[in-house]
Amino acid sequence: MATLTRPAPARDEPRRPNLATAGVQLPAVKDYEQVDREIIRTLQPALGWFLGLGVAVFFLLLGISAWMYQIYSGLGVAGYNPPVMWGVYIITFVFWIGIGHAGTLISAILYLFRAGFRTTIYRCAEAMTVFAVMTAALFPILHLGRPWKFFWLIPYPNWRYIWPQFKSPLVWDVFAILTYFTISSTFLFIGLIPDIAVLRDREGISPIRRRIFSVLSLGWRNTDNEWRHFARAYLFLAAFSTPLVLSVHSVVSFDFAMALTPGWHTTIFPPYFVAGAIFSGMGMVFTIIIPLRKFFGLKHYVTINHLDAAAKLALFTSLVVGCAYMSEWFVAWFSGNEAEQSFFANRIWGQWWWASAILYTCNMVLPLSLFVQRLRRNAAWLFIISFTINIGMWFERFVIVVPSLSHEFEPWQWTSYRPTWVDYSILAGSFGWFAMWFMLFIKQLPVIAIAEVKEIVPPRLRTQHPHGIDPAGRHFEFEPDTPGEYA
Amino acid sequence: MRGVLGAFRELDAAVSAIEALKQKNVGAIRVFTPTPRHELEEAITAPPSPVRRFTLIGGLLGVTFGYWIAIWTSDFWPLVVGGKPIASWVPYTIFGFEVMVLIGGLSTVVGLLINARVPRLTMMVGYDPRFSHGDYGVWVECPPELARTAEDLLRKHGAVEVRRER
Repeated sequence: MATLTRPAPARDEPRRPNLATAGVQLPAVKDYEQVDREIIRTLQPALGWFLGLGVAVFFLLLGISAWMYQIYSGLGVAGYNPPVMWGVYIITFVFWIGIGHAGTLISAILYLFRAGFRTTIYRCAEAMTVFAVMTAALFPILHLGRPWKFFWLIPYPNWRYIWPQFKSPLVWDVFAILTYFTISSTFLFIGLIPDIAVLRDREGISPIRRRIFSVLSLGWRNTDNEWRHFARAYLFLAAFSTPLVLSVHSVVSFDFAMALTPGWHTTIFPPYFVAGAIFSGMGMVFTIIIPLRKFFGLKHYVTINHLDAAAKLALFTSLVVGCAYMSEWFVAWFSGNEAEQSFFANRIWGQWWWASAILYTCNMVLPLSLFVQRLRRNAAWLFIISFTINIGMWFERFVIVVPSLSHEFEPWQWTSYRPTWVDYSILAGSFGWFAMWFMLFIKQLPVIAIAEVKEIVPPRLRTQHPHGIDPAGRHFEFEPDTPGEYA
Repeated sequence: MRGVLGAFRELDAAVSAIEALKQKNVGAIRVFTPTPRHELEEAITAPPSPVRRFTLIGGLLGVTFGYWIAIWTSDFWPLVVGGKPIASWVPYTIFGFEVMVLIGGLSTVVGLLINARVPRLTMMVGYDPRFSHGDYGVWVECPPELARTAEDLLRKHGAVEVRRER
């Protein structure tokens, strides 16, 4: 049984090249029927799922309660202390937007690069993107004193003849995030259509569910004509999503870089934010996918090789982010700007040393362990590292937002910031909101793309295939008894 | 719509049946496959998908609208800030780009729906639920006098089930 194999290869196990190419195969997956059976099996209700959903809803209710209290009492209960008027909400907004980026990277950019290891993890990552953007979009609204006026940011004809200021980065954000959400959810839904058709066509399904799936699958019939247009549309959506990934977090970084605040007004912010976003998203992908593959018995789909390749991507983005941190230090020193130098000294050795220490340890030091192949191929270690990445990336945004505002040009402005229980509750509520949507998703729709996995499973043939596939559909360049997890 | 449907368990059997049917010119062929396969694509030799035209037109309309809305609103309420131009193309490129992606992406989906003829409210002749799981279907649209030829060809190339449908 592939799912019972040990989590790390034995010391004497030969190292195989794990090239993340289109040539990725799943030797433990024999035929299309097995794919349908094993992936659809994950939709069965389970006690653990109900418990997880209950916990998520509890935290969500906690966050909603805190928000109600904040609306009643005013934003002052959220720990703002002039001039630090951006705190946990903006930090968490940037954090969740960043989480979404790895999803689009995996589903769109790696699709264009034909990186085969994306096939089994991209559905989870795409869903993560949509739910993360839904979570992030709440925070600018939470941060408004009168949240019911949020629609004033959207340009629409109105009797006041007032339009948004198009030179404001906050309006850029509205456009970028709405576009990102729309395209990401469209991309997710389009990819789901053939899989929903599989769910519709399975035996033993209730008539109501069959009707719902019939509507959602848009009457998909798997014809060659449908697939031809589907493949082309999917390619173009991926091509549009690729620059969108780069633009959205660049626009978010402009919220900071357009201000003359020390630590913010720098041209390095767009690439720095994009790399950080992908890094944090990779962390969240590991946090989600590693328990899922274990509890759903999908270790022979999301193989150690796939995790290894994704870990390399996380390592690379960690190095890019580390390089950006060092560039920041260098620019502050080399600029000769006293305000900038004083601010950086305060950030690293002064008032905020502890936050910087968490950030650098989690984002620069610990990910270096991923240079070791044995650790990259250890799911337990990747799970631990994913938590430290999530923590480190939240603190990265803390270190960007709070130290700058608390240490601007005038010494009399220098102050501190301490989040309140309202901030913490709403932060926990955001995780509850995200987890609730994800839990609902994984029990209603396949977490692994059925149709795409079938593309990499050898088809059944009458005769031996010239590319090394026997009539039973097995790649015979692999050892037949190799456990699928270590493929 | 009349024709003959052949269900195949093996991919190469379906491919050889399609090639034989094309050689005999029995009728228009439609293939059902649980996943897109290059072998089937090559056997059918369909023209390139026109979805790209929808993408291009949608993208161009989007970028035009993105720049236009920003420039028009700036001119509608001209407010000079810091001596900068009323309509500044540098920040407005963000709107041009974002709306290009938005409208271009949505147009691509519209192109998919129109060309793939979905959503479909009625059952398609010849469709069988097994074609979304693991089997391949070859549907030949042909008059009754050619149905026998089509059935023979499908059986000869390994169809596990052949039936006439209308």
